[in-house]
Amino acid sequence: MDIAVLVKQSLDVQELRVDQDTGKIYIEDAPTKAGDIELNATEEAVRLKEKLGGKAIAIMLSTWGSSGKRQKEAREALTRVLAMGLDGAVLIMGEGAEKGDTYVIAKVLAEEIRDKFRLVLAAEGSEDNFSGLLPARLAAELGWPYVAYATAIEVEGDYVKVTRSLEDFEEVVKVKLPAVISVTQEINKPRVPKLVEIVKAKKKPMDQKDFSPHVEPKLVIRELKVPKVERKQIVIEGDVEEAAEKLIQALKEEGVL
Amino acid sequence: MKVLAFSHSMDLVLELISAGRELGDVSLIMTSDQEGRINEVKGAKEILLCKGMGSGDQEGLVELISGLAGDYEVVLLASDRRGRELVGQVAHRLGASSAVDVSSLSVEDGKLVVERMTFGGKAIAVEELGLPAVISVQKGKFKPPEEGEPSVREISAPSVERRIEVIERKEKPKVGVPLDKAEIVVAVGRGFRKKEDLKLAYELADVLGGVVGATRPIAADLKWMEEEVWIGISGVRIAPKLLIVVGASGQQQFAAGIMDSKVVVAVNTDSKAPIFEQADYGVVMDLYEFLPVLTRKLKEIKGG
Repeated sequence: MDIAVLVKQSLDVQELRVDQDTGKIYIEDAPTKAGDIELNATEEAVRLKEKLGGKAIAIMLSTWGSSGKRQKEAREALTRVLAMGLDGAVLIMGEGAEKGDTYVIAKVLAEEIRDKFRLVLAAEGSEDNFSGLLPARLAAELGWPYVAYATAIEVEGDYVKVTRSLEDFEEVVKVKLPAVISVTQEINKPRVPKLVEIVKAKKKPMDQKDFSPHVEPKLVIRELKVPKVERKQIVIEGDVEEAAEKLIQALKEEGVL
Repeated sequence: MKVLAFSHSMDLVLELISAGRELGDVSLIMTSDQEGRINEVKGAKEILLCKGMGSGDQEGLVELISGLAGDYEVVLLASDRRGRELVGQVAHRLGASSAVDVSSLSVEDGKLVVERMTFGGKAIAVEELGLPAVISVQKGKFKPPEEGEPSVREISAPSVERRIEVIERKEKPKVGVPLDKAEIVVAVGRGFRKKEDLKLAYELADVLGGVVGATRPIAADLKWMEEEVWIGISGVRIAPKLLIVVGASGQQQFAAGIMDSKVVVAVNTDSKAPIFEQADYGVVMDLYEFLPVLTRKLKEIKGG
């Protein structure tokens, strides 16, 4: 059974610089990476593949431009997931991709997935936008069932048994394949590839394709604003006793004690 | 404008109606398991009651909502996990635009304009959505409406080809006060060296009448606490009047979950930790020294 893992080229939000005074967001300067939860999806795909045979392939869509820097980062991110044990990767990159919304991207990815895979694994949300819309849209585009927030996955013949965690319930569901499943970070602990695996990963097939959608997006981002978080940032000085007293006094004045 | 709404959670239903009323008349779908709470619904124009379907039936809901949505410009769903699971599927079935976790919404020139957090809380995206649109509404942003009796109309359940079968469903034990409703929260991070030491945080929370939450590593990686208490963009977003963050560095994931807190206190040994930029009051000290003293002094005040 062949498995596709969706890996988004995400902005590394930890490294993203924003200027609260000018409202500028330094997107071009920020590095990109594969999202942390996508490493969990990768780990799960590798484990399933090791048990069941077949291939597991990463499919990456790059939405932060196709400059030399972004090309290099995308390849590095894919090398990382390949080193974890995936068999190959497809990188979809192109000028139009920056304006693609989840509607457009689901259509582009579906063409890459239909007829080739029986199971698609994704993260519950991407590192930079965290909407979780794409796997759901992809499932609808493919006409496959979709189950989100998986904390355990077991394949049994034509079905996949998914344990998932919702706010109020723990659920075990049996889903007919082919299917799209999104995972949470609790599902596993991603392996850390050894150097030799990273070297080998560089020789694995990486297929680059041009992003060429046939449909128009339904959504336009009008503006990105920097939220004003105004914190007092007062450092309480003194020894332990003094600091505790000063803090209590300050909290009383705030009216929160 | 006509708005169709559905949520698994009755608490969120009222917030959705309130959000929907900013756009127009709201029709609310209710399922068989929600029928007993029909009298709690205020502010909707009508209730579409589907007695033939339960709210645990994901495939049925996608079919039901998509089937009804043709008569509406906007479909509103909740931003809990079960709500978010529906948004993309329903939107795609309709060829509609979509957004999740929106904090505001309005109509301009025939487009739905929404705001939502992105980049792990470092930015707010203002998005223009073509109609029809399917969106989920951020928890706690819209005040439940107090009046307006809806009419009730029964609707039939669509037939669905089943590919998902629920074979086990366990209700999770309810935690005392849910984190997102707590007035005072003590949040713990990796500065705690072992699980037993968390009692320092529990003692502080007890004397303040608050609850304890955790960063992602404490809940997900170390599993010292339940994942229900995990604060952050993929966990719970909190808005207490007082938040005391102890031994957490302030990673972006976490920072995004605490932005709506009124007063934030940070306790950390590392004066360069990003958490101090997110705090009103910072104490650069070892939590093992500071917490017991703070708790003792608070006890003295509360006792006297």
